[in-house]
Amino acid sequence: MVAMNDVLLAVLVLIGAPIIGCLASGIDRKITARLQGRVGPPLLQPYYDVKKLLSKDNMIVNGSQNFYVVVYLIFIVLSLLMLVFKADMLMIIFVYTVASVALIVGGMSTGSPYARAGSSREIMAILSYEPVLILYALAIYLLTGTFKLSAVVEASSPILIYTPLIFIAMIVVLNIKLKKSPFDYSTSHHAHQELVKGMLTEYSGPGLATVEIAHFYEYVFLTGLIFLFWASTPIIGVLLGIIAFLLVIVVDNITARVYWQWMLKLSWTFLLVISLVNIAYLYVSGVKVV
Amino acid sequence: MMETTVMLLIAVPLLFSFLFLGLGKSMYKVLAWAFFIFGVIASVQLVRDGAGVYEITGSNFAMVENIVLVLEVLVILFIFAVSIKFKNLPTLGLGIISAAITGYTLLPGNVPEVESAVFNIDPFSQVMILIVNIVGTAIILFATGYMDEYEEHRHLHRQRTFYFTMSFFLAAMNGLVMADTLNWLYLFWELTTLCSFVLISYNMDQEGINNGFRALALNLIGGIALSVGIILLATNYDISTLSGIGTYAGTDAAAMAAVALPVALLCIGGFAKSAQMPFNSWLLGAMVAPTPVSALLHSSTMVNAGVFLVVKLVPAFAGSSLGTAIAVYGSFTFVMCSALALSQRNAKRVLAYSTIANLGLIIASAGIGTPLAVAAAIMLILFHAISKALLFLCTGEIEHTIGSRDIEDMAGLIKKAPYLTTLIALGMVSMLLPPFGVLLTKWVSMEAASNNPIVIVFLILGSALTTVYYSKWLGTVLSSTMDKYSVHNKRAETYFPLSVLGLAIVVTSILVFQVYDYFIKPQVEILLKTVPAVTGQAGQFTSEIGEFAYAAIFAVLVLAVIIYLATKNMFTPRMAGYYMCGENNLEKDKLMFRNGLCAYDKSSVSNIYLQNTFGENKLTTLGYAISIILIVIALAGGML
Repeated sequence: MVAMNDVLLAVLVLIGAPIIGCLASGIDRKITARLQGRVGPPLLQPYYDVKKLLSKDNMIVNGSQNFYVVVYLIFIVLSLLMLVFKADMLMIIFVYTVASVALIVGGMSTGSPYARAGSSREIMAILSYEPVLILYALAIYLLTGTFKLSAVVEASSPILIYTPLIFIAMIVVLNIKLKKSPFDYSTSHHAHQELVKGMLTEYSGPGLATVEIAHFYEYVFLTGLIFLFWASTPIIGVLLGIIAFLLVIVVDNITARVYWQWMLKLSWTFLLVISLVNIAYLYVSGVKVV
Repeated sequence: MMETTVMLLIAVPLLFSFLFLGLGKSMYKVLAWAFFIFGVIASVQLVRDGAGVYEITGSNFAMVENIVLVLEVLVILFIFAVSIKFKNLPTLGLGIISAAITGYTLLPGNVPEVESAVFNIDPFSQVMILIVNIVGTAIILFATGYMDEYEEHRHLHRQRTFYFTMSFFLAAMNGLVMADTLNWLYLFWELTTLCSFVLISYNMDQEGINNGFRALALNLIGGIALSVGIILLATNYDISTLSGIGTYAGTDAAAMAAVALPVALLCIGGFAKSAQMPFNSWLLGAMVAPTPVSALLHSSTMVNAGVFLVVKLVPAFAGSSLGTAIAVYGSFTFVMCSALALSQRNAKRVLAYSTIANLGLIIASAGIGTPLAVAAAIMLILFHAISKALLFLCTGEIEHTIGSRDIEDMAGLIKKAPYLTTLIALGMVSMLLPPFGVLLTKWVSMEAASNNPIVIVFLILGSALTTVYYSKWLGTVLSSTMDKYSVHNKRAETYFPLSVLGLAIVVTSILVFQVYDYFIKPQVEILLKTVPAVTGQAGQFTSEIGEFAYAAIFAVLVLAVIIYLATKNMFTPRMAGYYMCGENNLEKDKLMFRNGLCAYDKSSVSNIYLQNTFGENKLTTLGYAISIILIVIALAGGML
C-alpha cells in the first residue's frame, strides 16, 4: 500500500504543482501591476497565456531547440519529485543542474545573438548560485548527519535556527533563480529587459509554453527549498516559502537590473562568506537537530 | 594462465612497437586494428584470469634483472644524450642526479638485495590494464586516420618514431600498473617519462623541444623524489614492494607515522607525474604535440600513473595527518585549475586544466582515505579516462574539420559535423551532469569529504566552476548558425574509436554498480581492510549518508527523448529566421543587421571568460605558491 500512496502523491505533485505555480505567477503579475499603479491581468492570465501559446504555430530556427526545453521541463519535474520524496539533497541539486544547463544550451542552440548573450549571463548565474546551493546541502548534512531530506522533516527543531546566514543567501539565490530584478538579465517575465527576451528570444508557441509550464514547477521547487528551513512544522515552512516568494516579488519591483559582474561579486564575496561563516559555526559547534 | 597474460601484455606491445618501426606506412592501419583487437582481448583475459600474484624467482629472475639493469643504464644514457644534444643544462643536471642515485642503488651493500620480482594483479591493476589497452589502442587506431593530414600540414615525416613510441608507451604503462617490485616500478616510470618527452617534442620545432624538456625535467624531479623514497623504504624498513608498504603500515598509526616521509616522497613523484600544481606546466606544454599524444598522456597513460601510485599508497596514509595534507593539496589543485579552465578559449587548454583538476579530485579523494572516498578515487580514474580520451580525440578531429581549436570558432559545429558534435557533447555531458559516471563519483567524493571543512569547500567551488566552463563550451558546439559549409569526410579509423569511447561512457555509466561490485569493492577491501558502507542494488547507490538513484535519472532521460519525439509531430515545425529587431535577414547572411550608420554589420556574440579574474596571469603564481606551501607542509608532517 505504501507504493500506492507514493504513486498517488506523485500524481498529486504532477497535477498540483503547475496549478500552484500558475497561481503564484498570476499573483506575481497582479502584485507587480498594483505596485506600478495598474489594474493588472486576471489571476489566471498565465494559464490563458500557456493555452494560447500551445495553439500557436511551432516556429523554430532549428530542429533541435525544442528538445532542450523538454529536457528542462522533465528534469525540473524530476527534481521536484525528488524533493517531495525526500531524496538526497546533493543529488537533487545535481539533477536540478541538468535542467538549468538544458535551458542554457537550448538558448544557445538557437544561435541568435540575443539568446547567446542571455545564455552566457545565465551561465554566470550558475557560477553565482551553485556554491551557495551546495553549501546549503552541506549545512543540512552537518545538522542531521545525512544528506537525505527525510532527516530534515523528522528533525526535532527547524534548521533555520542554526542556518540564518545561509537562509539569507538562499533568499538571494531564489531571486537569481526566479530571474527577478536586480538579477533578471538572462531573460525575464516582465518587460524590463533590453536584450529582447534573452535566452528565450527564439522560443515561441509550444516551445515557449513548455518553458512556462516548467517555470510553474520551478516556482514550487524553489519555494520548496525555502520550506525545508522549517520543515519540522510544515505549516510554518509553507508560510516561510510564501513570505520568501512575496519578498522576491517586492524586491523585483523596487530594484533596477544590475550588471552581471555585480551579481558575481555579490555572490563570491558576500553570499559565499556569510554561508561559509555559517558552515564554520556548524563545524565548530557540532550542533545537531536530530 | 595469468603469468602468460602478464608477459604478453608487456611483450606484445613491444613487438608491435618494433613492427611499426620495421614495416612501411601502408601497414600502419592493419597493425593498429590488430593492436586494438589484441588490447581488448588481452586486457579482458587478464580480468578473467582473476586477481593474483606472479613472482619471478631463481634463474629467470637473474636474467630479467640483467635486462632491467641494462634498461636503467640506457634510460640514463638517453637523458644524457638528448640534453647534451640540445644543450639543456637543467635536464642534464637532473640526469646526473638520477644517475648518481641509480649508481648508489647498484653498488653492493647500500640497499638490501631483492631475490625476486613480483607482479601484483589486483582489481585496480585490472581496471588500469583495461583503460591502457582499450582506450590506449583506440587512440593509436585514431592516430592512423589522423596523422597523415597532421604531417601534411607541417611537412613532417616522423610517423615511424611516433607509432614506435606510442606502442612502447603502452608496454611501459602495462608494466607500471602491474609491477609490485618498487625497482621495476621505477624503471617503467622513467620509461614513460622518456616516451612522453619523445612524443611532446614530436614536431621538432623550438616550441616542441622546449616543452618536451620541461616535461622531462619536471618528471625527472618527480622521479628523483620517487627513487629517494624507494631507497629509504628499502634501507630503513626493508620494504621492496608496493603492497609491502600497505602491509607494513596497515592501519596502525605508529607504523604509518614511521613511513610517512618515504611515502610523502613517493606521493610527490605521483604529483609530478599527474601534473598537479606546481608541476602542471608540463602538461599544458604537452599540448603542442599531435592530438593523439595529448589524448594518450591525459587519459589512459602518463598522468594516470601518478594517481595510480597515490591510490595504491592509501593504506600508508589513510586517516593520518599526511592523508589530510594530501586531501587539502588535491582539492586545492581541483579548485585552482577549474578556475583557470574557465578563463581559457583554447579547447585543448580547457581540457588540460580539466584533466589536472580531475586528477586533483582523485588525489583529494585518496587523501581523505575513507573507504567511500577511495572507491570514488578509483571510479573517477576509470570514468575520467574514457571521457577525457573521447574529448581530446574529438577536439583533434574538430581541428581538422574547422581548422581551429578556439571554442568560439566551434559555434555552429552541430550543422557542420553532427555526429562528431554529438560525440563531443556526450563527452562533456558525461563530465558534468548526472547520471553519468564522473558526476556520480564527484557526488561520492563530496559526501565522503563532508567531514573535512577545507576540502569540501574547495570541492564545492571547483564543482561550480566545472559546470560553468563545460556548459559554455557545450552550448557553443550545439549552437546552430545559418551558414552551411564543410562537407565532412568520415574515416573509419577515426570514427570507430570515437564511437567505441562514446559507447563505453554510456555502458560503464549504466553498469556503474556492477563495475563497483566487481572491481572497486574488492580493491578497497585490499587497501583498507574494510569495504565502503555502500548498499543497495543495481540502479541505486546508497551510502550511510545519502543515496543516488542513477537508474531513475537514466530512465527520465530516455523518457524526455520519447516525449520529445512523440510531441514533435503534434506541432508541425515551421522554420523561421532569427529575430533581429526587424533589421536583419539579408539574403546572404541571417545574422546581418543594420547599424546606426545605415550600413550592414554582422552580429557576433562570444562567451564570457572572466580573464581578469581567473586568467592565467592572475592565478598561476598564486597557485604555485600555495601548492608549494602545501607540499612542504605534507613533507614536514612526514618528518615530524
